[in-house]
Amino acid sequence: MNMASAFRELLRSGPGFGGASLMALLLTAALYVLLAFPLDFGESQWSNPVIWVDNPKAVPPAWTNPLRQDARPLHRVFEGAEPQTVQTARSGPVHSWRFPFTYASSHPPTFLAVTLADVNYAERPPLVLISLKRPDGKQLRIYRHTVRGPREDENGPFLRYAETPLRVQLSTDEATVTAAQNFLAEEFDLRLDGGQIGGRVDRILFGVPAGSADDAFAPLTGDYEIIIQAALREEGDSVGKVRFVVGGGVFGLMGTDSLGRDLARGLLFGLPVALFIGVIAALMSTAIGTSLGIASGYLGGRADIAIQRFSDIVANVPVLPLLIFMLFIIGPSLWMIIVILVAFGWSGLTIQVRSMVLHMRANQLIEAIQSLGASRRRVMFRHILPQITPYVLAQLIFAAPSAILAEAGLSFLGLGDPSIPTWGQILETGFRTGGIYVGYWWWIVPPGLCIVLTALTFMLLALGIEPIVNPRLRQPAS
Amino acid sequence: MTSLLDVRDLTFHYADRAGPVRAVDNVSFSLASGGSALGLVGESGSGKSSLALAIMRMLPTNVARYDGEVWLDGQELLGMAENRFRQEIRWRKLALVPQGAQNGFNPVLRVGEQIIEPLVVSGAAGKREARARAQELLAYVGLPADVYLRYPHELSGGMKQRAMIAAALILEPPVVIMDEPTSALDASVQTQITNLLKRLKQDMNLAIIFITHDIALASDLCDDLAVVYAGEIVEIGSAEQVLLHPSHPYTQRLLASIPRLHSDTLPQFIPGAPPDLREPPAGCRFHPRCPLVFEPCAQKSPPAFEPADGQMARCWLIEDGSG
Amino acid sequence: MSLLRPLLVRSLTMVGVFFVVLLMLVLTLGLTGFSDRILSATIGEQLRAERTALAETIRDPDEMEKVLEKRREELEIFYGLSTPWYYRLPRTALRVLTLDLGEARTLRSFDGSNRVFDIVTERVPNSMLLLTTSLIITATIGIIAGAYLATRQGSWLDRFVSGFAAVSFAVPTWWIGILLILILSIQLRILPSGGMYSTPPPTQPLPRFFDLVAHALLPVITLVLVSFGPSIYSIRTITLNIAQEDHVKIARAKGLPESRVRLRHILRVAAPPIVTGLMFGLAGSLSGSILVETVFNWQGMGRLYYDALAGTPDENVIVALTFIFTLMYVVIRIVLEALYVFLDPRVRYTD
Repeated sequence: MNMASAFRELLRSGPGFGGASLMALLLTAALYVLLAFPLDFGESQWSNPVIWVDNPKAVPPAWTNPLRQDARPLHRVFEGAEPQTVQTARSGPVHSWRFPFTYASSHPPTFLAVTLADVNYAERPPLVLISLKRPDGKQLRIYRHTVRGPREDENGPFLRYAETPLRVQLSTDEATVTAAQNFLAEEFDLRLDGGQIGGRVDRILFGVPAGSADDAFAPLTGDYEIIIQAALREEGDSVGKVRFVVGGGVFGLMGTDSLGRDLARGLLFGLPVALFIGVIAALMSTAIGTSLGIASGYLGGRADIAIQRFSDIVANVPVLPLLIFMLFIIGPSLWMIIVILVAFGWSGLTIQVRSMVLHMRANQLIEAIQSLGASRRRVMFRHILPQITPYVLAQLIFAAPSAILAEAGLSFLGLGDPSIPTWGQILETGFRTGGIYVGYWWWIVPPGLCIVLTALTFMLLALGIEPIVNPRLRQPAS
Repeated sequence: MTSLLDVRDLTFHYADRAGPVRAVDNVSFSLASGGSALGLVGESGSGKSSLALAIMRMLPTNVARYDGEVWLDGQELLGMAENRFRQEIRWRKLALVPQGAQNGFNPVLRVGEQIIEPLVVSGAAGKREARARAQELLAYVGLPADVYLRYPHELSGGMKQRAMIAAALILEPPVVIMDEPTSALDASVQTQITNLLKRLKQDMNLAIIFITHDIALASDLCDDLAVVYAGEIVEIGSAEQVLLHPSHPYTQRLLASIPRLHSDTLPQFIPGAPPDLREPPAGCRFHPRCPLVFEPCAQKSPPAFEPADGQMARCWLIEDGSG
Repeated sequence: MSLLRPLLVRSLTMVGVFFVVLLMLVLTLGLTGFSDRILSATIGEQLRAERTALAETIRDPDEMEKVLEKRREELEIFYGLSTPWYYRLPRTALRVLTLDLGEARTLRSFDGSNRVFDIVTERVPNSMLLLTTSLIITATIGIIAGAYLATRQGSWLDRFVSGFAAVSFAVPTWWIGILLILILSIQLRILPSGGMYSTPPPTQPLPRFFDLVAHALLPVITLVLVSFGPSIYSIRTITLNIAQEDHVKIARAKGLPESRVRLRHILRVAAPPIVTGLMFGLAGSLSGSILVETVFNWQGMGRLYYDALAGTPDENVIVALTFIFTLMYVVIRIVLEALYVFLDPRVRYTD
């Protein structure tokens, strides 16, 4: 049977069709990830907290909002480079950025943060002012920052916040707390001390005092505006980048973990990694298993006995404890995981291939060919190997899911390669940091589903292929 | 006339994806009394094993048609309630040594236990009594007494066959069906078993239905022969009648295919292959392979003709010859 | 007829497994220099302690260095660091074989002992409880449902179960455990999410037992959930094959009651291959329970692995766990082998 017709037959069976279409889907997604993500995604992004600092921490996906009774606030990021308006005041040019938005949630933002980068000035440092304009017409200055001045032996022009941008978490910044305190006192005649305000800045800024208790606030929905002004001293001074984040209660497609990492990106990157683990481990163990099996059946004698005994022992080793031990001693690396999985994963196939080879050698046709003077090597490669190949192919596909599950299990025990995020590691973080006990399902369920889906794809393919390569199974049950 | 076993128009079809398989079609025969053997002879796939199962009411789940009458000792078996049939007939009146009886023993139980099992389960005898009886039988079939405590894998093929025969006799049934009891054994053991069966027939006044593909073997043991082709009995009669005056062309061909030691004639093979029982040929089922085929053969199924007293054959040639 | 000889023959592989694992332990510890590092650290610690003690009597720093250097040499000989690992470790392996497992760094047993032997062995019954309970439940469901399904081959239920069994192979056991916690413990608050007893544990025996059952429920359900599909499927297939054998036909022809045919002539014959299936599944069940114990904070050996790996790793405990785990596996396997030899007369030797 040639490849094309075998493939057509595969597509005709239910599991085969399901497996093949899922595999096509997974491969497409994996290809996209390989093109769109840097290869060192793990180190440069996933494990780098700076990347995720402006994300809300441990919030569910955005699509859960319609399912809730009271929608959580969306995550909003405003960025500006070129100033929107340029005015000239007495002190010098004033660059300003205005970010209007409608706030509809009854929950306050999870945080407010501002980031400034690439500030340039010739002599005197600029002053940056941030104000919030509320739907009730009230406006308050929530932050004021003077860019750091020249050091003693430093000469202009001066560049500030170029390598490390200035990031201020307004929700917890003392200046903002004071601003909120003053705002309540002036506008609502409500006097609270710093302790009463601390931690509730966002609630105060996006709410109004609710009559009864002194410290209760009702949400205020409507059109807000963030106004960022940079008072520069000279023509040519500039603020290169401003960024204002209104932290949401939901985020993206898959939500975030407790470090604010975008789980959608982690899950996506886990796909090619899982496929890689499954395919490489399966390929290597199948190659070793098949060649040892053929060698065993082909050579016979002492070599056969030795290989048989050895594979019998390896097949019966309880692998997980040994895997844990070796990874612990040698240190967790993806390659090490694969090498150990292969080291203990080849033996079952060896035993099966050997018995197939022996069975075929006893076949009368093969005996006849041999008696006609064909060399053993020729018999092996021309007559026996082609018959084993399809079976080995099915076993190869069967081997992939177990490698994927094994890696996930090891990662879950904290033995994953820290430089490469995998689904098991995402689950591990969720479990270790207690995410499961506070019900962070979006952190726990999707990585597991990804593992199941990928493993299932291989299983379905194997189930679809098995009846094609194993003609005995094609007969209807009698 | 009252015979011991009387099979009338027994029909058994089972369902297959492509349609019903006519494994047994309108089969009738009878066994007059104990101490005699009827040989059912036919090629493999002719439906003779299905016939044995149909008589024993051991049916697969996919029965398409199952009717006719089987009278044993004045009782009709097919209409009998399942439970009563199981308790009163099976092994008690009708025992079976199935094809490949080598595998007829449960591999994890001792041989003796399996021989006495029906006796003990029915409560007819205690364990000790049953054991004594079993050991008697083992000795009778030529096995050492310690076989009783052995496991099946410790016995050779011939020993297992003997033990199986002993097991079939434990309830002293009047009729035993033996389905190819010797086909898996080598020739010398085959002869021993056949001799044992001959002895058995006499000593125990047993009626044996002997199913085989080997007409020579059947002729050695059996008093009557029935030739089965494509689910039907095409010829039946005493061994002499069938062997010396075969009137059905298939029987003639079957006899001609036996290699003979003291003869110059070469064995002749029957051309063609047995028909597919899903779609047997119309008319006489043998007609596509019959060298003597003529018009009516493909038209109508031949009824039972009586070429001689006590002999029956389904062939239009006989009508032609006699009429 | 002796049961002992075939059992010994069949257990040879297990003895091989045991020594291969021991060899892997020694090689890994030695080749990576891990063992040397650990010993140097131990000696360094001891020297530091002695330096403080000696500082009272010896004032001269040169004198002190000399004394300590001499002491270091003594200690290196005492711990065997002066000899290369391939001489030292076999002796260590021998020591481990006699269950002399050393002391833990930070982990303690329930009553505060730091002997690794105490820490590990007190977990064994807890692990066994979880493992055997789930294995027995899985096997029971498998035998009953498998034998039933064998009579309904090709039905939708039969096809559903084979599909379910295939899916089971693609699902990580521990993730199912997490899901169950998320649903049953966190959302619905029906069952406790982990541990073996409530805090504080009930003192009366009966409430204590029920408390244990309540805590064992989720981990057992988890282990059963992922394994009962494959179990039913394999037992169904075994029974189906046996039911088609000639001896079953004969048993029916003998007029035996159907229940007797099923029990003695099908299920009894299926017992050896079912035990074989258990043997092949054992390593998987053990691995599954390591992870499930972790998820449910079940105080067994699996959870001990997790605790020994987290934070500052406890090397001695990890070595000992790997050893004891393998030992436990080998022992259970040999018990199963014995059961097999007992059940299947065909492997027994005569005369």
